[in-house]
Amino acid sequence: MNTHPYLRAYLAGIFIPTLVLPLLLAVFIMARIVVQVPTPIEQVMIFPMAIVPSLFGLWNMLYMVSHPSVHHPIGLHGAVLPLLMAPIGALVATHLNVLQFGSHGLIWFQACTIPYALVVPGFLFAMAAYYLVWKYIVGTLNRILGIA
Amino acid sequence: MNAHEQEEDRIRQVLQQSLRPVGAEHEPNRDLWPAMLRRLDAKPASTPWFDWALLAGLVAVAALFPSAIPVLLYYL
Repeated sequence: MNTHPYLRAYLAGIFIPTLVLPLLLAVFIMARIVVQVPTPIEQVMIFPMAIVPSLFGLWNMLYMVSHPSVHHPIGLHGAVLPLLMAPIGALVATHLNVLQFGSHGLIWFQACTIPYALVVPGFLFAMAAYYLVWKYIVGTLNRILGIA
Repeated sequence: MNAHEQEEDRIRQVLQQSLRPVGAEHEPNRDLWPAMLRRLDAKPASTPWFDWALLAGLVAVAALFPSAIPVLLYYL
């Protein structure tokens, strides 16, 4: 199976975001309708729906291109992705009023406050989550699809 | 020998000339099947302790700071 390797890499990359997206949508709808949290779902969903899957797919394609020369593990490759995604996501979220900079911390979705002291640990938390997701899910899919 | 048999004989000769001979030198020098069986029976590589620790840490952080979960989902 040596045909269309970039397409297979892209599909393996977008697997997790497309799986999580309905879950995320369900969480936000529950939060808005059931718990009456004033979360602007339309604005919240733009980044996870339009940008995150594409970034995952392109990042996996980049792994496929760079791996033969760099020989870096896929977990490490995935753990670096938040360095790119965090500023893009924060920028989009700020412009859509999903993220606000409060006096004590970041206010996400007009409901969740993350103290500034926890921003860096939170970023490390995201990197660790990405490391595991890429190592065990995207890496497995790559092997199944004959990419890695 | 009629014309049909002559034609068959000629085709046989042409095929024998065009196909590579399969002899003893083209076989592997050892039996590969036991190695194949060992590979099929081999257990997949176990998850390193570091990854388990990382997962436990993530679960603990998510339990301590549940407000971080939607933010993480936003980036997945």
